[in-house]
Amino acid sequence: MKLAKLFAWLPGLLALAAALATALPPGPVRGFDMDRFGRTPVLEGGRVKPLDSVARNALLMIRGKQGVPFEGRQLGPDEWMLDVLFRPEAADAQPVFVINDPDILGLMGLRQTADRYFSFDTIAPHLQEIQSQAMAAQALESVQRSRFQNAVVNLFDRLVLYNHLENSVQLADSPGLFAELQGLGGPQSAERDRSLAEASRFRILPPLPGQSPDAWLNTGEALIAAASGTPHPALVALATAGAGYHAGQPEAFNRGVAELQGLTANLRPGALRHARSEILFNRVQPFYLGMVIYVLALLTLFASWLWRRDLLQPAAFSLLAAGALVHTAGLVSRILLQGRPPVTNLYSSAVFVGWAAVILGVILERMYRKGFGTAVAAAAGFASLIIAHHLAMEGDTMEMMRAVLDSNFWLATHVVTVTIGYSGTFLAGIIAIAYTLRKHIAPAPDPATTRTLVDMTYGIVCFALLFSFVGTVLGGIWADQSWGRFWGWDPKENGALLIVLWNAIILHCRWGDYIREKGLMAMAIFGNIITSLSWFGVNMLGIGLHSYGFMDQAFWALAWFDASQLVLIALCLMPRRFWAARLN
Amino acid sequence: MIRSIAVRCWIALASLQVTIVALVLLMALVVLCTLAQTDLGTLGAVNTYMRSFLVMRQVQGLPFRVPLFPGGALVGLVLVANLSAALVRRFEFNPRKFGLWVVHAGLILLVAGEFVTGAFQVDTRMTIEEGQTVNYLESYHQMELAVSDVTDPAHTEEYGVPDSKLRAGAVVPLPGTPITLKVKRYFVNAVLAPRAAGDPPSPADRGVGAQVKITEAPPATSDKEVNAASVLVEPVAGGQSYGTWLVSTVLGAPQSFVHEGRTYLLSMRARRYYLPYAVTLKKFSHDSYAGTDIPKNFSSLVHLSNPARGEERDVLIYMNQPLRYDGKAFYQASYGKGDTLSVLQVVANPGWLLPYLSCALITLGLLLHFGITLFNAIKRREKEAS
Repeated sequence: MKLAKLFAWLPGLLALAAALATALPPGPVRGFDMDRFGRTPVLEGGRVKPLDSVARNALLMIRGKQGVPFEGRQLGPDEWMLDVLFRPEAADAQPVFVINDPDILGLMGLRQTADRYFSFDTIAPHLQEIQSQAMAAQALESVQRSRFQNAVVNLFDRLVLYNHLENSVQLADSPGLFAELQGLGGPQSAERDRSLAEASRFRILPPLPGQSPDAWLNTGEALIAAASGTPHPALVALATAGAGYHAGQPEAFNRGVAELQGLTANLRPGALRHARSEILFNRVQPFYLGMVIYVLALLTLFASWLWRRDLLQPAAFSLLAAGALVHTAGLVSRILLQGRPPVTNLYSSAVFVGWAAVILGVILERMYRKGFGTAVAAAAGFASLIIAHHLAMEGDTMEMMRAVLDSNFWLATHVVTVTIGYSGTFLAGIIAIAYTLRKHIAPAPDPATTRTLVDMTYGIVCFALLFSFVGTVLGGIWADQSWGRFWGWDPKENGALLIVLWNAIILHCRWGDYIREKGLMAMAIFGNIITSLSWFGVNMLGIGLHSYGFMDQAFWALAWFDASQLVLIALCLMPRRFWAARLN
Repeated sequence: MIRSIAVRCWIALASLQVTIVALVLLMALVVLCTLAQTDLGTLGAVNTYMRSFLVMRQVQGLPFRVPLFPGGALVGLVLVANLSAALVRRFEFNPRKFGLWVVHAGLILLVAGEFVTGAFQVDTRMTIEEGQTVNYLESYHQMELAVSDVTDPAHTEEYGVPDSKLRAGAVVPLPGTPITLKVKRYFVNAVLAPRAAGDPPSPADRGVGAQVKITEAPPATSDKEVNAASVLVEPVAGGQSYGTWLVSTVLGAPQSFVHEGRTYLLSMRARRYYLPYAVTLKKFSHDSYAGTDIPKNFSSLVHLSNPARGEERDVLIYMNQPLRYDGKAFYQASYGKGDTLSVLQVVANPGWLLPYLSCALITLGLLLHFGITLFNAIKRREKEAS
């Protein structure tokens, strides 16, 4: 008995141990202490973050992944960044641009093959053509562009980002920062420094004592200051590191990085501390880990229906608990790093919707202990983290809040409550899907389990109505405070209202006895469609005050999801095993 | 007989079926209203679907518009009637149900608040440059033809003729002046272009309008477009005509005529509402996050001056922090001219408190309901335990 209990908890503990192992700092690569370099705090996008975050976000935007396989090795984001900054000729040969659109490849005279990644060197001869096509497309509203035009604008934006990065610490054609420092006051040096100051993507030199905390400088600005007689003390350290990396001398590089960090630690100790915490968060990738653990939990649970249910069902639950722990840790870290409530943009709403659904699922599982709570929670957690993973391609997920949203009070109340409402509606829908699948797959009807599922769905719909209603009303109050109207029929407001109305309709139908078990479940699945449209669909209209992210690729994903839900509703309404009856 | 019909109607009115049908209709309307916003703009879509009793549509081949769907106002009214009837019919002092009863009473108030807003809310704006003092609000949608007597540089006398009076053939006397305006034609929206050689002569024979070709355009529908309101008008004073003038919002240059030594300026502009107090913009601030264009905060430091009430004070208006004064709320809405101009949105809504009251009521109801449920559950458990 005791052994069985231990066995049940083992997978969860193993998963947690694996998660902890990812937190260990990696060793130096080819003798270069890249991890330390990645910890360097910089000011980018309005906030101080480690250079590692800049590298990861840029690589995600350009390549869609956080690493580059090159010459039989996997380059990490920090190493890639170092190549881009100090060895641009090497970086230009690395295949970092993902291009999926066949017409773009055709534009460059390339054929579509299994390899979708291209180096800057491959693209460089066609830059003129890409630029003119992108300029023509940019004149149109994004809704009116063709698929090719959207793709070419997207590629052009990534090329611009790449170009900015290459010209962030020194110009891409520079012989090195030392040479620039020596050439100060030379014939073209002022112009070179100015263009560097403009192109630079981030500010790496911390403010000096007595300056405002926002007064970070990029190297171009620092060179201009040095020319007028006030050189930044960290400039030489940065030059040492760059020269060391370019020349392949790890000792010089490590010395320069250590010196730069020592100076930063003196000038801005808080920035370095923050960078250290954020790089840990980057390395662990808790949401990616959580996703993997949820899949394992789901697979274990499926296995439990075929073999040794007594052992595997608790094991699946332990995995779910481990996943929930990692997910929670990630969420808490984000809150601490950002100093904001959990939901600040579309990405974090996906993370949070999944988290709330998982927690609800865990509670359901503890109440009913039938394995369905685990299945539903793991599925919800996995699905939402996959969505978040794709949303992360848009750039820094901890971006600064636009003025009107800059209110922790309302973010913590309205946004969190409404998002929990989404979670509840989705969870009810997923339980209903589980009910539908079970109805047709299970060998024999099991009224007790069916009752449990119906009770769960009913309870969750009540919960979802409460939270979505309260959240929507709080949103109205916020809108009245900031825009002067309680309700403006804005698309996002309408989306939230639809969720409230739909949940209210389900419950009133149930109370009036117009629907029973089957109807309740079918309506709960339809709730998935309503929620998905309200969450993502309204952003695709590209209008309204809340349209904070137009996503054209996501359109088809959403259409397929909604179509699949309609099929599931039909399945739900069909008699049990209708297909088997026909066969007999 | 009549009694039984009345009873049946009463039961039907309070029935759950009506609630569900009304909620489904409301959902359909919300979807339609949201989708229509891409074509009609927010205001157009809301007026068509939400603030109307019937959604009317022009069907080809028919001379009149046909009602296609119940409008939001009708559905809302039915919902309120249904809820109220249900509340009266089902009212009982049953502690198990009292919380939900309060919640539904709050809901009625919420829908009522939307009716009050739809009927009485007035949206205007106040545009001020730094250092400027403004004592009027401007309408977002209504226009006016303004005639200003600028003879005395120290004191301008203004007469505004609202666009509702600017119909072709209308004769509008300006009270207190010898001038009468004869309206030749009014364009809600128009396209103005320089007159080419082959174009017919312009209907305007004075001012810049003589060189302009004017074409009527359909009124703007999307939220981004702005109507170029234009009017052809003939001022007459003392039996003498001063010619036909083209006055438009898109014509920048001032146009004026002189009658008996007094100079009158003609202009087309957003309709103004004068206030008994004045607002001066002392400083507009627009902060961005370091090194980016992402706005961090907008704020307007204004001075409020109301001599009638002896009020002289400074107010800081910023995001999520409006000034509430004189039954109006002043919000930071927009800015311009290199951050030296601030646009405040000014909303007067006599029903603005209703949603707050309704929220308080609903919260109270929910607390009551869940509190009582919890209390009963604990009691039951104790009973089972003993």
